[in-house]
Amino acid sequence: MKFLTTNFLKCSVSACDNSNDNFPLSFDGSKCELIQDTTIEFNPEFIMNVIDRVDWDAIVLVAQELGNNSLPAAKPVLGSVEGLTEDDMAVLRDLHLLFIQTSIKEGEMKCRNCGHIYYIKNGIPNLLLPPHLA
Amino acid sequence: MLPTPLVKCDYDKIYEPSEDSFLLLDALEKEQGYLVEKFNGLVLVCEFGPGSGIVTTFMIQNRIPVGLNSVYLAVDVSPWAVEATLETAKLNNCDKGTVLDTVQGNLGTGLRKNQVDVLLFNPPYVPAEEVPEVPESKDDYKWLDLALDGGEDGMVVTQKVLDNLDSILSKNGVAYILFCARNHPEQVAEEMRLKGWKIDLVEHRKAGWEVLSVYRFSRN
Ligand SMILES: [Zn+2]
Repeated sequence: MKFLTTNFLKCSVSACDNSNDNFPLSFDGSKCELIQDTTIEFNPEFIMNVIDRVDWDAIVLVAQELGNNSLPAAKPVLGSVEGLTEDDMAVLRDLHLLFIQTSIKEGEMKCRNCGHIYYIKNGIPNLLLPPHLA
Repeated sequence: MLPTPLVKCDYDKIYEPSEDSFLLLDALEKEQGYLVEKFNGLVLVCEFGPGSGIVTTFMIQNRIPVGLNSVYLAVDVSPWAVEATLETAKLNNCDKGTVLDTVQGNLGTGLRKNQVDVLLFNPPYVPAEEVPEVPESKDDYKWLDLALDGGEDGMVVTQKVLDNLDSILSKNGVAYILFCARNHPEQVAEEMRLKGWKIDLVEHRKAGWEVLSVYRFSRN
């Protein structure tokens, strides 16, 4: 599961929909095995669109849980694709590495509201609930 | 005609791509222009119940809707289907270089609200006594039933998605959902129109004794 996908998942328990703590799921970095997939080419425009789209606070939080403390607290503000500076490109390359190249192969993630734990196995997160919670 | 993905799966466990799957592909091919027009920026394409993965792979293969700016998420309740989807993507060289993830889950229940830009859904639409329960073990032979049986009028699972469509789709989001005639799609569409949705028939076709259709749901 790509790091970016952590920005699109929440707890499946419907009662948690009334809470603000069902997203992002909390990752236990010590239990997560990360891998790098270098087959996806760096595309500055794509990463800019991703930045535009994501919930940045959740990105920062999950990155920290997985051991990356380098992200700024505020979403980076970049101009147009044509006007990117060397510094901007360095930021985008870093984020490409994190969002797209970094995957969680094995691990677990927990709802901050109800505490339910979801497992990631062989790169596939399982968000199904046991019958008594579904 | 756009190329159709190659699929090799164990059809005791995975729904074999059939007329319905191909109708959905045709509908999406037809919608390419509409989708390109509709979106700019990142597009999150999400398929519920990908089964073999043929539809998601088709989208990746043909770079629908907007080539390098799309990310793909395929959600299936079946552990066999989430694996098959990745295998089908791989078989068609669509795994490398693409932002694709598969998730084992129940429809949109594990997805953050209002994120899906393009929802694709070929549901279990066959009228049946009930929607089968999710098997507890991966080795259960009943996983395939979940891909077919849709309960009363074959609408139980589809209705769940329609009832939650407003919280699944992004502001600009659009859903493509397949129906058979026994689902009474025109009646379903009318109910959704009353709730403020815009519904368009994209494709329909007679397939054997079945009439299949694909409808597009968007906000007015
Ligand atoms: Zn929860």
